[in-house]
Amino acid sequence: MDFLNLLARLADLDSTSAAPHTAAPRRAALGRLGQAGTALLPGLLLSALSQPATAGTLDTRTRLDVLLLTRQLAALGNELYSRALGLVPGYAALPLTATEKAGLQVIQQQETQRITLFSQLITDGGATLPAAPRYDFTGSKNGTKPALYPDIQTNPDTFLLVAQVLKDLAVRVYKSQVEFVGSDAYLIETLLRSHSAEARHAAHLRTLRRQRGAVVKSWISPDDAPLATPPAAVARVYEGESNIIQTYNTSAANGDLGPLVSVPFDSTLPINVATPPLSPEAILRKVAEAFDEPADAVVAINVVALFTY
Amino acid sequence: MADLADTSFSGRALRRRTFLRVASATAASSALILAGCGKDDNPNPNPGVTSGQSVFAGNDTGILNLTYLLAQIQAAFYQKVLTTPPADFTADDKAAFVDMRDHEVIYREFYKSALGTSADINLAQGLEFNFTPYTLTTRKGVYEAARTLEDLAVGAYNGVGRRLRNFSYLRLQLKITSVKARHAAFVRDQVEPNSFAGADVITPTGGQAGLDTIKTPVEVAKLLAPLVPVVLVADNLMLL
Repeated sequence: MDFLNLLARLADLDSTSAAPHTAAPRRAALGRLGQAGTALLPGLLLSALSQPATAGTLDTRTRLDVLLLTRQLAALGNELYSRALGLVPGYAALPLTATEKAGLQVIQQQETQRITLFSQLITDGGATLPAAPRYDFTGSKNGTKPALYPDIQTNPDTFLLVAQVLKDLAVRVYKSQVEFVGSDAYLIETLLRSHSAEARHAAHLRTLRRQRGAVVKSWISPDDAPLATPPAAVARVYEGESNIIQTYNTSAANGDLGPLVSVPFDSTLPINVATPPLSPEAILRKVAEAFDEPADAVVAINVVALFTY
Repeated sequence: MADLADTSFSGRALRRRTFLRVASATAASSALILAGCGKDDNPNPNPGVTSGQSVFAGNDTGILNLTYLLAQIQAAFYQKVLTTPPADFTADDKAAFVDMRDHEVIYREFYKSALGTSADINLAQGLEFNFTPYTLTTRKGVYEAARTLEDLAVGAYNGVGRRLRNFSYLRLQLKITSVKARHAAFVRDQVEPNSFAGADVITPTGGQAGLDTIKTPVEVAKLLAPLVPVVLVADNLMLL
């Protein structure tokens, strides 16, 4: 890329733009530079190079795409929790205990903090925020089709199940999105720190559901009770989570990637330390628990679509 | 990865901060680095290393050795609790600790396998960990210790992510990080209801509000020091 030419064009853009950027012209220019770099370099080089040969089509998501998606997930969550807590006019609070409410408030507040952060990053980068979508958490698309979760606004168990699904989903999708900001240390850290916060939320919701009688661990497990007739988009949230095959590329001292190695959990690694030892099948269930799997953005987009109209 | 950080939204500020942080850390401990040149010559052939020094290399191997150490400590911790559980430990507590112990053993053996001959010599021989800073005779004390260790691990993984060069390692560590965060949330809720994402781990206000804990490798080494019988030198990782 002709760097000086790019800077000159950004300067032009800044001086001729109708948008009022006078408050922080330098920051805006830098932000736009980030955005321009993003647009010019889709399908991050590092990520592309390290894709195993078995990977599917090359995704070309930009950093802006990533931020819009993570902001969308936070906004959806905020609305879901706000309605459940009775913070949205027209939606009565769910019959939750005071302790349960207090925990959900923590999640709701952290959703709003994430919306603020991602919104700031998006607008600093020169992009505009999308209009707030309309939500229908029953999944009926405002009564135009049969509801998927008809009692979500009255039954805490239904609400908590949907909340858990959305959090487990966020955890999976953050993992895949990190690959598309791979050259940006600040954004990597922001995504990693959001990702682990989402996992804390997910575990809390799972603990809450278990306390209310659901068969579910605080970590995603093959031992969790399967969802009863989930919509296809929701079923995909847990697709592949029971995977026991973990692979990595070896790397040479100079950073070049070597062959793909499969971690021999099912053969030579001495991981079965219980007394008495677990069955081979049971120890591999623990392996599945020990690794949360990534999911592509489309999995999240399809779930969000269930609840927006 | 960090080489390209100047194209980021706010990478310039970050790099300046990183440089200052690294500069001070390096100045403070250059003497330690020099003293540690002979770290691989530990003549102690016995399992259960009780002294010496582990210097983490400034590359992916150094990072994997640090997370290998974390997994070793946590597997040993959960095993110790299961071997001698506190009197008020319930069946549910035990089941959760068995799960977490198994996960940590899985991580430990994964790292051992991935590192192969690149494993730090002290870690390869096996360290005698010291859990006396914790109260392991009560359920509350055990969960508090687990909270400290799991939160530290989450912060450590969040801190090393951007320093990894081999993206396939980052992918695997991300798969581990969220399970660690789930462990952390679970044990925190056992110590104090609804503390799963408390203000001591999730930044409550300001520009980083809503973001989880993050620790630099040097901070991690410092926090692990009381548990480990060898001196941990993680300064090289700060240059990544």
